[in-house]
Amino acid sequence: MIGTTPAVGWYVFGVVPSDAAPAPGTYLVERGPLAAIAAEVSLAEFGEEVLPERLNDRAWLEEKVRVHEAVLQSFVGVTPVVPLRFGAIYHDLGDVRRLLAERGEGFEAVLERVRGRVELGVKAWFDPTRVTRPAAGSGREYLQQRRDELSSARDAAAVAAAAHERLASTADAAVVNRPHPRELTGRDEQMLLNGAYLVPDGDETFAAEVARLAEEQLGAGITFELTGPWPPYNFAEDDA
Amino acid sequence: MTALEEQVTLVELVDRVLHKGVVIAGDVTLSVAGVDLVYLGLRVLLASVATLEESR
Repeated sequence: MIGTTPAVGWYVFGVVPSDAAPAPGTYLVERGPLAAIAAEVSLAEFGEEVLPERLNDRAWLEEKVRVHEAVLQSFVGVTPVVPLRFGAIYHDLGDVRRLLAERGEGFEAVLERVRGRVELGVKAWFDPTRVTRPAAGSGREYLQQRRDELSSARDAAAVAAAAHERLASTADAAVVNRPHPRELTGRDEQMLLNGAYLVPDGDETFAAEVARLAEEQLGAGITFELTGPWPPYNFAEDDA
Repeated sequence: MTALEEQVTLVELVDRVLHKGVVIAGDVTLSVAGVDLVYLGLRVLLASVATLEESR
């Protein structure tokens, strides 16, 4: 329609100290010691009526999720950042400033907690076929092997729990998330551990501990994967 | 990267971007915040994994 402006809103990615430099393509909306990382979005794309449908569009979702991550990632190792969950959208900048006013104390507490730290992810995977043991010859040996496999699966779960305890004691904070089901990972191995750990930026102690665990559990069919550094998504809540 | 590796990375990303971070009910998006968003994101991924499996 001629003469009408398309409706826009402000998408908020996260919160940083107000002296931070903005990420490319975003603005910093300041209020007191805090600033919201924000970008203008079209409500034709992000409006309440269309968003549920958009979220079912894999290509759209992937693009937007990657933008969200890239913006927050640009602060990692530079300045502390509080990640917001995907899809916080405001009508105008006054509303964004009101958010900073209302939740400011909590944001400041989280910024202090994550300052100088990064999130690392650790996943442990179990593959019973990789458990080191002699090959079965007779039927009895086969049955014994099946029993061993079942008990090694139980052992694997216990190993994952113990691994998390060890990693948590090396980190400043730790969170266990539900392992992803096979339908989601598309992998043959079973995910045993899906943990997130807050560690000092640049510290090698944690990665060394993961490598040590991996070495110890090689014969048990358990492998470890380290991901990150991530913005502190898992440590963003005030009460975490 | 293979399609499967890309999928794993996307799962990792969605796990954080859609399921973690501070929940703020923006005044535009109040009704899609929280549980619904998580559910929708996972459903999209499950559907796309199924597509990957079929195309193998």
